[in-house]
Amino acid sequence: MASGVSGYAAISTRVRAMYSDLLTPQDMTRLGDSPDFSSLVSALKGTPYGRYLSGLKDNELTPRRVILQIRHRLSDSYSSVVQQAPEQTRPLIRQLFRYFEVGNLKAVLRSIQTVSSWKSEIAAWDRVREVLFPFGSFSTIPAQAMVESGSVAAAVELLRGSPYESTLSFAMKRFSTEQNLFPLEVALDLNYWRRLWAEAKKLSGKDREMGLKIIGSLLDLNNLMWVIRYKIYHNLSEEELINYTLPFGYHVRDEDIRAIAAGADIASVISRVYPNISHVSELLEHPESGLPKLEHLLKQQVMQRCVAAFIGDPFHIGLPLAYLLLSDFEIQDLVVLIEAKSSKLKDEDFRPLLLKTALTH
Amino acid sequence: MLFPKQMSEVELIVPSKDLVAVTRALSGYGVFHQVDSANLGLEGVGQNTWQDKAGAFSTLERRIQTIMQNVGLAEEYPARPGIDTMVDLDATRPQVDRIDEDVKGVSDQLSGEKKRLELLESQLRQLEPIADVNVEVGALSKSSFMHSILGVVPSANISRLRTSLLRVPHVFFILREDAQKPVVWILGPKSNSDVLERAAKSAYLNPLSLPEEFGGTPEQITAMLRKEIEASKQKISGLEADLAKKGALYKNELEKLLWDVHISRVMADSIVRFGQLRHTYVVVGWVPTSDLEDLTVRLKDASREILIETMATSRSGHHAHVPVALTNIKWLKPIQDLVTTFGRPSYGELDPTLLMALTFPVLYGAMFGDLGQGLVLMLVGILAHNKIFMKGLQSLGLLLVYCGFFASIFGYLYGSIFGFEGHLIEKYLHFHFEPTWLSPIGNILTILGFAIDAGIILLVFAYLLGLFNNVRSRDWAHFWFGHTGVVALVFYFSFLWVLNVLLGDTPIAPKVARAISELPLPFPTLAGAFAVLVMFSGFFRNMVEGHTLIEGKGFGGFAMFLVQSFMDLFETVIGMLSNTLSFVRVGAFAVAHGGLSLAIFSLAGEKPTIGFWITILIGNIFIIGFEGLIVYIQTMRLHYYEILGKFFHGGGMQFEPLKLNPSQEEAKP
Repeated sequence: MASGVSGYAAISTRVRAMYSDLLTPQDMTRLGDSPDFSSLVSALKGTPYGRYLSGLKDNELTPRRVILQIRHRLSDSYSSVVQQAPEQTRPLIRQLFRYFEVGNLKAVLRSIQTVSSWKSEIAAWDRVREVLFPFGSFSTIPAQAMVESGSVAAAVELLRGSPYESTLSFAMKRFSTEQNLFPLEVALDLNYWRRLWAEAKKLSGKDREMGLKIIGSLLDLNNLMWVIRYKIYHNLSEEELINYTLPFGYHVRDEDIRAIAAGADIASVISRVYPNISHVSELLEHPESGLPKLEHLLKQQVMQRCVAAFIGDPFHIGLPLAYLLLSDFEIQDLVVLIEAKSSKLKDEDFRPLLLKTALTH
Repeated sequence: MLFPKQMSEVELIVPSKDLVAVTRALSGYGVFHQVDSANLGLEGVGQNTWQDKAGAFSTLERRIQTIMQNVGLAEEYPARPGIDTMVDLDATRPQVDRIDEDVKGVSDQLSGEKKRLELLESQLRQLEPIADVNVEVGALSKSSFMHSILGVVPSANISRLRTSLLRVPHVFFILREDAQKPVVWILGPKSNSDVLERAAKSAYLNPLSLPEEFGGTPEQITAMLRKEIEASKQKISGLEADLAKKGALYKNELEKLLWDVHISRVMADSIVRFGQLRHTYVVVGWVPTSDLEDLTVRLKDASREILIETMATSRSGHHAHVPVALTNIKWLKPIQDLVTTFGRPSYGELDPTLLMALTFPVLYGAMFGDLGQGLVLMLVGILAHNKIFMKGLQSLGLLLVYCGFFASIFGYLYGSIFGFEGHLIEKYLHFHFEPTWLSPIGNILTILGFAIDAGIILLVFAYLLGLFNNVRSRDWAHFWFGHTGVVALVFYFSFLWVLNVLLGDTPIAPKVARAISELPLPFPTLAGAFAVLVMFSGFFRNMVEGHTLIEGKGFGGFAMFLVQSFMDLFETVIGMLSNTLSFVRVGAFAVAHGGLSLAIFSLAGEKPTIGFWITILIGNIFIIGFEGLIVYIQTMRLHYYEILGKFFHGGGMQFEPLKLNPSQEEAKP
């Protein structure tokens, strides 16, 4: 098995080259300065996203279409990294990539639940495919056939042999009684993160250290946001909160999650884990606006960890993982910009939502 | 060969009556890259009415695939030349309906029975562990003081389920360990039944549910279940046999239907992306110019009234929308893979494969110069390429051959053979072999200086290629003020003049820098003036491109601009220094190669005993494997960072022609 210098020579060189192609905070500011959606698209054409937009004319582009196109870049980055990564690390990268497949799967299931409210002259699949992440040949889900199957049960039947079969077979019992997608979505999320963590733990040496650090940071973010949201919005009981969260991560310990589930003060737990995040209590006083801000701050923590991975020894899986996450965060910023410009939001309404700032770059 | 294949844009006006024949001609030969007409902004184009038909073909294809799967037939797309035309949906659908109806009854029964078997087996698995408990299963749920939950739970959830119950008194049994579906039994006081139920539900525990007719003790129920399972298995075998018979009966018909519907679907998918006018269709796409004549003849055969307009696309200007088909010479494939790992050339851009085919092996050879080891590397490459030895390296086989060849050439120049140099060759190998050029280990500074000279020549060449690409793409802003533009190149010459002044007559002083310094040019003035131009190159680029000249407003914005400009200059100087000195590694590795060989000889001793030769053999294997790999990394690094970055941007769109048979589809890199 190739690892260390021999395994990472090509990929770390390539990833560094791709890293230099990421947008800078100045680029993001310039894009944010675009007066409207079409100017934003024109400005995007002058960035590395240009080639994904070049075949399309400005006046024919819808926000949804532009988002789909720019996501192709992330998909290409994953393909490129998977192909060049040392063999023992590929399962981890593939599993990380599956995050978008899980998102697609949820979108497909939601579309089946809501399809009856759509206009009949537009085929359901045509509506759905525009919001799916361009997963390409990696996909294991027959999305179109699922949408056209017409029922959640029939759609899940089509997942036989896929990595989701076992998880959904348990969750479907609850769906059939509750007729609510919540248990299916939670089961898919938990299964995804468990597998991802397991893949990171299979690595050894520096790969394992960096894999657990980066994946763990991301897991911390999700685990914390889950427990807070389930508690505040869904009012779930302690035992449910424990079962709907995970007992591992990088900074966040199981005791922290259990303490929140048991009713401990959320702000004090977060302040202990992330001492550099201030005013958590104020954010939690108004969860509707405060929780997105808290999530934003936690994402910036992950970004900082990713940027830090580029300093020092480059011969480990940390670099590719960090690059892929930074690319994803960049696209999240672009989605914010696209939606802000297409709905004519004021600067002060969308700029604070951007992740890429001088602090994180 | 220096550029991707010349492409021609093709625009067709196709009469509706010839639509299918033309589509067949376009998709049958793998030379036409279609452009979605929706993205062209054509005027007068109506709603394409083929969307429904394409959807119907797609659904029909999937139905046939499902039927074939149900009757155990492999999904194959056997090419049937001569019948690749679009089938009539109305005529084909009843055929599929007929077969589907015949097969569906049995396959539905089979699927239902399999589900039932699965359920029975699951119930058996849950009851077996408590088969010796002599109580009525129904009594467990009727207890006045205890709440009991028996069922299967995802194995990954067990630990979390236990954690979630820590606050209430309970007992937790894992009755059956199983990687997927362990059986668990939870018991707790009735007063905590709500907590127990919530915990079980949120851990996705599926409780045991038995049909009413299955009453009694666990032992009695398991006996009943076993009997039912046996009967179910027999029924499944019978149904599978029935389906196999139907598979044999319909095999030929289904395979033909699958092919016909598949090609119809591919063609309909293409037509959906045509622009539909009232009586005609507009088709736009790209064809390699070399295939254009053949395609035109085929299109004319398909439709006499077709209008064909072709435009050869010049390589100058921006061509992000032109697909890129690289010229595939199999001998250059491994080099092309190195290039595409960095990026796919865009249409107007120089394909660096040929340049890299020369520089990569030469730089590798210069760092790994050894006649014997080079020949071994060549041999390994030949064996790997032909899958005789080290099959995993097959894709790199030819690259090893080229690198090995140049390593042996440089070995000849350095007078090194399997690490033996100078008097060691005469002493141990008993023949005379002198360096034809120089021995790196005996002329360290000379070889380092030579490496820097070679690097400067390569860098200047890369700068010139960058200018060439900018001229071709008419990117004047970058031609003048880009990081490899005219201003940067002249500043690099001035930088070499400074380097020459600083290094003076030292042996490491680059001769190329000295030659440049002797040119009758006012270098001090040039250095100052072009430093200012480099410093403000971003400003000038914005001016040429018509962008905002200075980002930020007011005095603060201007101060930030000055700081940024100074940092740009600083970065450029550091970059030029590091780029130039980066090539020292070529000489350094040539020296290190000799040094490593000497280390092996120190370990081997002086007397030519068997131990001596074994040490030399192992040492050579180590050098070929270890140093060979490190030199490969260094060569790649020099190309990716120092050379390609100067003139090559990549980002080309892959040429993806329409094809009918999926088995012929090009593997994406």
